[in-house]
Amino acid sequence: MAYLYFSLALVAVYIGITLLLHLQFGRVGIVNFGVVGFWGLGMYAHGVFMVTLGLPWLVALLLATLLVGLFALALGALVLRLDGQSVLVATLAFATIVLHLVTTEKWLTGGVVGFGTIEYPFDFGAATEPAYLALILAFVAVVLVYALRLDSSAYGRLLSAIRDNEPLAHGLGKPTFRHKLIFFAVTSAGMGLFGGLSASLNQFLTPNMIAPGVTFTAWIALVLGGKDHPWGAIIGVCATVGLFDVFIETFAPIPADYALLVPNIKLMLYGAFLVVIMLYRPSGVLGGYGRRG
Amino acid sequence: MTVEAKLSIAGLEKSFVGRKVVSVDRLEIGRHGIEGLIGPNGAGKTTLMGLITRKLKADAGTLIYRPGGTEIDLRQMSMDQVARAGLVKTNQVIQDFETLSIRDSLRLALAPAEREQFWTVFTKRRKRDAVEAEIDEILSHFPFENPNGDARSAGEKKLLDIIRCLLLKPKVLLMDEPTAGLPDDLTRAVMTLVQKKVAEEDLKVFIIEHDLDLIWDYCAHVNFLADGRLLCSGTPQEVKDHPVVVEKYMGVVDV
Ligand SMILES: Nc1ncnc2c1ncn2[C@@H]1O[C@H](COP(=O)(O)OP(=O)(O)OP(=O)(O)O)[C@@H](O)[C@H]1O
Ligand SMILES: [Mg+2]
Repeated sequence: MAYLYFSLALVAVYIGITLLLHLQFGRVGIVNFGVVGFWGLGMYAHGVFMVTLGLPWLVALLLATLLVGLFALALGALVLRLDGQSVLVATLAFATIVLHLVTTEKWLTGGVVGFGTIEYPFDFGAATEPAYLALILAFVAVVLVYALRLDSSAYGRLLSAIRDNEPLAHGLGKPTFRHKLIFFAVTSAGMGLFGGLSASLNQFLTPNMIAPGVTFTAWIALVLGGKDHPWGAIIGVCATVGLFDVFIETFAPIPADYALLVPNIKLMLYGAFLVVIMLYRPSGVLGGYGRRG
Repeated sequence: MTVEAKLSIAGLEKSFVGRKVVSVDRLEIGRHGIEGLIGPNGAGKTTLMGLITRKLKADAGTLIYRPGGTEIDLRQMSMDQVARAGLVKTNQVIQDFETLSIRDSLRLALAPAEREQFWTVFTKRRKRDAVEAEIDEILSHFPFENPNGDARSAGEKKLLDIIRCLLLKPKVLLMDEPTAGLPDDLTRAVMTLVQKKVAEEDLKVFIIEHDLDLIWDYCAHVNFLADGRLLCSGTPQEVKDHPVVVEKYMGVVDV
């Protein structure tokens, strides 16, 4: 039962970061291929703040989020003026550097041996896992409500304008670069927040947790569900992480001999999904933006 | 001529890959209501306007802007600051926001910066009647096929570009070939509205056109640019009869 809660919490975390990716890419067109870098930095920072520095859980979480936000601000200031490909490469490089440093800086992160133990913020006995799942869902709900409200707000309209034609918006007196930078920093900090929340979930951290697969999974889920809609991120995550990491692993009786094949089949199916989507619904299951009313 | 110019340009230069495209010694804009800028293709007209709005960075020269009593050195400013200071430009090539409806596009132009911040998404939304009324008013001058929908035709997009700039309530409006892509009757509707605003408000207009009839009809003062240099300026009649203009320009267009 505890494992089911863990899996559902994993889905919730993925929904969180995929929603944030929807905000970055779907709303503003920022091609962030370093999702796992921000998420992983948040996770390790939370662990280090809590275990090594002995800070309270909430303080550690807020500091980790802030730290990731500052890194995103610095990275964004360097690359957000450049074109999409440069942003892609820079964010990917950032995630690679985070993975590398986590592996090599053993004094801080334990390296490949791992780092722990990061306790839950509370102990409700058997109710601890469900309560923690609820906590993560609460944060997901905040992001979802934000993403939904954005649709009909003046700020959302400005972001659409920046995505559609940044020079035109700039010429109308909008400080487009500053807006992109702030938006990128805050949403990346959000990814760091979900990383921080994942620290207690995993309890023990190893570098393989912050491999590029996390980024790719979020991207596949987003493209699958529809990058332009908050619900697209949710549908996409349920159809990928939800299907494979929760439904099949928990409920499908796979003989032990074949269990090792599941991750590979998963990747193959992700690929097949993507091809089908690209062929028949390039804007994802939920389709693209209509014009706003 | 005691009226102070809104915009003073001196020694302005811009080169692209080693070729000097703009080289204007002196130019004062904003002494007359509507002023024209004419010249052959590739003369550097669009580039000159781009330098003024800070879309392009000048290689040398000074750009002084006087919106009210104060003097502003435009070289210290970014394009969005220049626009907020009341100096905006319409686009020669059609520019559009793909996913914004006509009304949203105009609401964008009217939205104050403090409503467009990350956290304002959570604050209570109000329908702003004054804004909607202003949009209704300006749309009433033009026959959009579906004013509550999207701009579909090239003409409607071009028109929308101009209306967006007008809603910013500029002090100096730079118009880059407003007739390009617009049907004749719409051009006249635009110019009539612009003329009205110039007469009633604190607005000066600087306009690039190849449609010389429009220049002669609406401009009080005309500048002629060729190979990046300002070769002559004066009243429409003076420019029309100027030998250099006749030689370099009139020969190649039908007047
Ligand atoms: N970004 C650029 N890079 C390189 N060359 C450029 C650039 N922009 C303009 N040019 C060149 O500078 C010259 C002036 O261009 P500009 O667009 O200012 O001319 P124009 O007077 O507006 O012409 P038209 O009447 O055709 O619009 C042209 O030869 C053009 O090819
Ligand atoms: Mg031009």
